[in-house]
Parts: sequence; structure tokens; C-alpha cells
Amino acid sequence: MVRWGDAVRPGDVIRPGDVIRPGDVILPGDAVLPVLPALRKLLPGGGLHRGSVVATGDWGLLCLALVAGASAAGAWCAVIGLPYLGVVAAADAGLDPDRVLLIADPGPGWPQVVASLLDGCELVLLRPPDRPSASVRRRLEATVRRLGGVLVVAGDWDGAQTRLLVADQEWAGIGAGHGRLRARRVQVLAYGRGAAARLRARWLWLPGPDGSVTVADEIGAARFRPGTRSTG
Amino acid sequence: MTPAGGAAPRVLVVWCPAWERGTEPDARAFEQVVTLVEEFCPRVEVLRPGVCAIGARGPARYFGGEKALAEKIIDAVACLGVACQVGVADGLFAAQLAARTPWPGRAVIVAPGATQEFLAPHPVGLLGQPELADLLPRLGLQTVGEFAALPAAEAVNRFGSAGALAHRLARGLDPRPLISRPSSVDLSASVVFDPPAEQAEPVVFAAKALAERMHADLAARGLACVRVQIQVICADGQEITRWWRHDGLLSSLAVAERVRWQLAGWRATEDEGGRSATAPYRLSGDEGIQDGGIALLRLIPDQLVRATGRQLALWGETAVDDRVARAALRVQAMLGHGSVTRPLLAGGRGPTGQVTLVPFGDAADPLFPAGRPWPGRLPAPAPATVYPVPRSARVTDESGASVTVTGRALISAPPAWLSARGEPWLAIISWAGPWPVTERWWRPASSNRQARFQLVAEDGSAWLAVVQDGQWLIEASYD
Repeated sequence: MVRWGDAVRPGDVIRPGDVIRPGDVILPGDAVLPVLPALRKLLPGGGLHRGSVVATGDWGLLCLALVAGASAAGAWCAVIGLPYLGVVAAADAGLDPDRVLLIADPGPGWPQVVASLLDGCELVLLRPPDRPSASVRRRLEATVRRLGGVLVVAGDWDGAQTRLLVADQEWAGIGAGHGRLRARRVQVLAYGRGAAARLRARWLWLPGPDGSVTVADEIGAARFRPGTRSTG
Repeated sequence: MTPAGGAAPRVLVVWCPAWERGTEPDARAFEQVVTLVEEFCPRVEVLRPGVCAIGARGPARYFGGEKALAEKIIDAVACLGVACQVGVADGLFAAQLAARTPWPGRAVIVAPGATQEFLAPHPVGLLGQPELADLLPRLGLQTVGEFAALPAAEAVNRFGSAGALAHRLARGLDPRPLISRPSSVDLSASVVFDPPAEQAEPVVFAAKALAERMHADLAARGLACVRVQIQVICADGQEITRWWRHDGLLSSLAVAERVRWQLAGWRATEDEGGRSATAPYRLSGDEGIQDGGIALLRLIPDQLVRATGRQLALWGETAVDDRVARAALRVQAMLGHGSVTRPLLAGGRGPTGQVTLVPFGDAADPLFPAGRPWPGRLPAPAPATVYPVPRSARVTDESGASVTVTGRALISAPPAWLSARGEPWLAIISWAGPWPVTERWWRPASSNRQARFQLVAEDGSAWLAVVQDGQWLIEASYD
């Protein structure tokens, strides 16, 4: 139960009858969209907070991994401005291609496209075609909050609640003229604002040998050690 | 074998294999063929994209016989660059089978009264009753002729109404006459606003009544339209036209809704030019309309087909949420029908062939279905970035000479440096390949011969590169 005066913490489920302070955000259903088990410890609250913006620095498999958990759980995902999305890799990571809308070229009116899609899809994965002005950015953040979706930005976003980035990566299974790419071991750093300001780091297989995303422990790392070279 | 009350109707069927095989996915292009056939006989029934039928008796008399008519049609359609096959027989069913008889470029004409003999050797599966197609062979009835030899009363007793229908077909009797589409009748509905409407609301309201009128006109003729064209003309002559998928499924209210989206989408693009600084985007377009207001709204049904009472849209396995559909249609109103796509996994060896993008609202099957073995396909994990058009690149050895691959898949020297179209050179620290790919060498138009490489650069990025005709191309990136 949340009562007057209680701060609404991320992860709290707010039910009808609860008293909320003016200015608090009321989110429908669960306040957090699920993510893949491997990513849970990276994100404050163990998932993607509805109404929040998550920035990932650059486009990559990490963006797909972030939205895969919720998509597998039944959420619709719109992907905007990424004509080169690898759908097979996305499906291997856990994304359900049946619940994906691709808008390869949103054109100059992309903020309107994003706002329209946030109305229908819980997840929007966006690569902004240009750097948005502060007012456009704030309007979109307000739309995200109002509709209770999650905006994952493949790029930088000034007002993002959570940021993730790949700090270190190393491909396994390939040598100089032999083997093939089998798995990538990456160190993902996550930091947020306010209560979630603590820096979290995690080693992941992104992707693993079958395209899935798993936690890279030392045993798993050792298995792929032969034939790898540090990529610095 | 003539139905009671007169001679059997002679039917001519034009069948274009391109649509059936999926090499010509655009149903709209078939409209050209239909228009051409209409010049021979104005009453054409379009059965589905790729197949249309006309009554052959009148035109055959005019053009000097069925054979002459069929050959004229084949020649005319060939002028469009489309291959077609023509069949003439008593009744639609036999004519369709005749058209499909593999005899390219020649018409197959079944003489009047010979329909039953023509049908006899065909397998019973063609009668279009899936249950019977399974059951009859197990009872020892393999061909249409054997089934037709049963007494009609026995067929009804044993197999019910499906059996009765199939038995009629097997005897060369058609269950229904041709339903031609009225090409000359204008089924579009329009309304003029005088004075021009300044607000979107009255236009949307009028659209509902207009859609009701159009639907009533179509229903009176037993037709449905695959798509509806919504045309809005402004007082200053500006025009905005959009196609919307209909399939006989949209209610009048739903058509009116699409008019609203179309107007809202139009306003959104208008805002881009004029007032993007002050109003970067707007969520609803219900404010006043400039340009002197809307003068005319017209709904034009397109691709008329026989109404079959279709109830549900086929949108793949996952039913589309209403909210999602609304959002997707709004974006389609802004950017066009093809701008919102749904990915469909398909079969293929390379990364680009494994996905087919289908515009939202269309139903389509991939040319090569997924889930079949593709020997030599790219091994997992799949690349996260797949360039729709491969990027040109340069790969050199230590000395700076471009790395080449011989016909026997031997490389000139180990690749050492990589530069993707103008980007700075990166040292290659590990690589694998070449993996030669020779696909569809038997079909020159779609054949390709390549050698694939995986390259890992010094910054940790991994690339899928391919050598084709001596050129290095980057197909995908794994990061």
C-alpha cells in the first residue's frame, strides 16, 4: 500500500484506492517491464521502469537484449530509425518478431511518429535521426510518462533515467584464419539518476554461442578461452 | 453434360503464374491485365490476384472462335511483359484447370460437352474439399472421374453437402455463374463541401455517411473491395490521396476513422514545413485546416472481388492488439502504407535473405519459408546489424595490396587492414574464411557466387564481409 506522504519508489505497484501525492506518476499495471534474467542485476528495480527513458550510448545488440525480455513476455515493440536491425539476432536474443513494428525511416517528423507509437506499444526502440531540441525531448519524455511506456534510445539522451554502455568486449572462437565467431564476452556498465546513481557492472555473454544473452561467469569464460585473443 | 435450362456456359480463364508463385507480390499490378482482358469482354470476374475469368461465348463469336480469342488475349497480355495461360471450358472450375495445364503460350480448349472427360484423370484433391481429398483416396477413389461415376444420390448420402458440391464439380457442373465486376459503373462515392470545410470534424462525419453509401452500393452487387482509396481535395487544388486496406472488413465507422488519420497525418507533415520551430509535433489534428478548407472527399473502392463473407483479418499467428493497430495505422497515415512493416522470418543462407518485411495490415508468405534446413547457412550467433544494401569496403594485406580470393577459394594473403567506405583503417586481429557460397547457379538472374569472411578489428568490432566479383562488401556487423 502506498499512502499519502510515502515516496513512491521504483518498483512499487500502485493500486486503485492508493493515495498519491500530486506530481507522482501513476503507472498502469506493474511498474516495471521484465528484462532478460541476465540483465536484472544491472537495472535498478530489476527491470525497465514504465515511463522511463533508457539510453545505451550506441546501437548494438545490447539494445535488443534490453527489449527482448518484455517482448517475450507479450509486450509490443516498435523499432524506429533502425533499417539495419538484425531480426534473426533479435529473435535469438528472445525478441518475438510477431510483436515487432519496424519503422525504418520515420522522416523529419520522427517525434510525432514516436509519440503515436508510444500510444500503442509498451516499448519503443529509437535511434533518433537527428539530435532533438530540449523542448522536443521534454515533450517526448512527458508522453512516455503519461502513457507508461519505455523508450530505449540507441544513442545518447540527455534526460535518460538509466544509461547502459558496453565498456569492454572480446570475441571468442575466432583466430587468425581459423575458427569462427562463437560468442562475445562484454562488460556492461549501468548507471542511473537519483536513487539508482550507483554504478553497476556485469560481464555478459552478448551474444552467447546460440545467440542468447547469459551471465558470463569465470567458468563460462574459461570454456571459450582457447583460441581467443584479447581485443583490448 | 449441360445444366438444365440451356447450354453450359463457356468460360475463359486467364491465369498468370507470376502472382501464384509470389514473384509478383503486388496485387495492384494485376489490374493492368484485367483492364486488358476487359477490352475483349467488359464483364470480367477477378477470382484472386493472378486469375480472372470471362464468359467466352459472345467474344468468341466476335473474334472468330474460341481459339482465336484465346490467342489474341495471350498475345495482348504478353505485350505487357506478363506470361499467362488461357483455358476455355464449360464452367469455371474446368476452365481454371484447363488454364493451369502446362502448355505455356498455348490455349487449352476443352470442347463443349467434353468437360467430364477432361476432368476425369485429375486427382480428387482438386475438388477443393480438404476432408474429401483425404477420405476419397482411402476409399479407393483416386480421380475425379471415379468420384463422378458414383450416383449423385449416393454422394450426397455418404458425404453430405460437401460431397454434393464436389460431385457437381466432378460432373462438370458449376455451382454458380460468373459474377463479373461492373467495370463501367462508377462505385465511388463523393461529397462536395460548399463552403469548404475548415474543420476536420465535419469531414470525418460526412465520411461515415459516404462509406455507408459505398458499402451499400458494393453489397447490392455482391462485391467487396480489397482496398479503398480516400481522396481529399482542398479548395486551393491541393490533393491528398491514400490507399487503405479494406478486404470487405472495414465498417463505415472504421473508414471514417481512416479519413481522420489521413487528415491528421497531413497536418503533421504540413507542420514540418511551416511551424516546426514553435510546434515540433502535435498529437491530434483537430484544429482548423488552412489552404481554404476541404472542398471534396471521395471514396473509391479498388480491386473489386466477389464478396465471400470474410470475417477475420489474417495477420499472422499473433492477433494484433487494437491499440497497436491504431498506432500503426496512424503512422501509416503520416508516412505511407509501406513505412510500417512487420518482420517475417524466412529461409536463406545469407543474413539479408532470412527476413521478409511485410507492410502492416498485409498478409504475405515469405518466398522461402523458415524452418527448413539451409545447408551452408550462416552459423549462429546471427549478426545484430544487417545492412539492407551491403556497404562497400576495402580489405588489404600487410603490404597494402587488396586481398583477393581465387576460384578455388584460396586467398592471396591474410587480411590485415579493413576500411569500410571512407572510414579510418582498422587493423584486423583475427579472421575466419573464406567460406565459398554458390547459390542458384542454375538460374542466372538470381545466382550469386561469393566468399564470406568474418573479421574482428582491433577495436573489438566483428564484421561479416563478402567478396563478390573481386569487390569487398560488408554485409553485417555482429556488435
